[in-house]
Amino acid sequence: MPITPQNILNHELIGLRAKVVKSTHQGYVGIEGLVVDETMKTLKIMDDKGCIKVIPKSCCTIRFKLPGNVIVEVEGPYLLGRPEDRVKRVVKRRW
Amino acid sequence: MLCKKQRIKVKTIAIERIKRLFEMADYMFHINSELSHRYVELARRIAMRCKVRIPRELRRKFCHRCYRFLRPGVNCRVRLVKRREPHIAITCLECGNVMRLNLEGLKREGER
Repeated sequence: MPITPQNILNHELIGLRAKVVKSTHQGYVGIEGLVVDETMKTLKIMDDKGCIKVIPKSCCTIRFKLPGNVIVEVEGPYLLGRPEDRVKRVVKRRW
Repeated sequence: MLCKKQRIKVKTIAIERIKRLFEMADYMFHINSELSHRYVELARRIAMRCKVRIPRELRRKFCHRCYRFLRPGVNCRVRLVKRREPHIAITCLECGNVMRLNLEGLKREGER
């Protein structure tokens, strides 16, 4: 089952291209690059210069580029949780 | 409690995530080896949480004592040993642990 917009909340984010499009803090907006690490409350994004930026999930909206040129925008609070806990979580979808 | 259909779905996603993490560990090793060790840790946690086994060809790619990602020629040594039971010996150069894979067992399963 490859990664799709339907199962992105349960799937692996490491290795995807990501861009912060909206945030309550303006400094995070516009950060773009490869997701290299994930913790319970943050994502670590490596930009093209090789610099690792730490972004809190709770206050950002992030745009992911999936294989096959599919682009999904995910609100950060839905991604909260440890990476191994997210596999099993069932989210009631209202979209 | 998840229903049976959801449990199967969780397991397929878990196996796929483990494979993706090992791919990324392979890719990241020459950029930042600490990150690839971290991916092994994440893959193991997913496997334990979802009760799936790490696929056999991936299970040899990390040390079972210090859980570091292993790249032959860089931080591990792979040798064929003929004496005793013929086996493959994979030595982790980070901690010195030796993994031994029985050749007879591998032959029976049709692997090289």
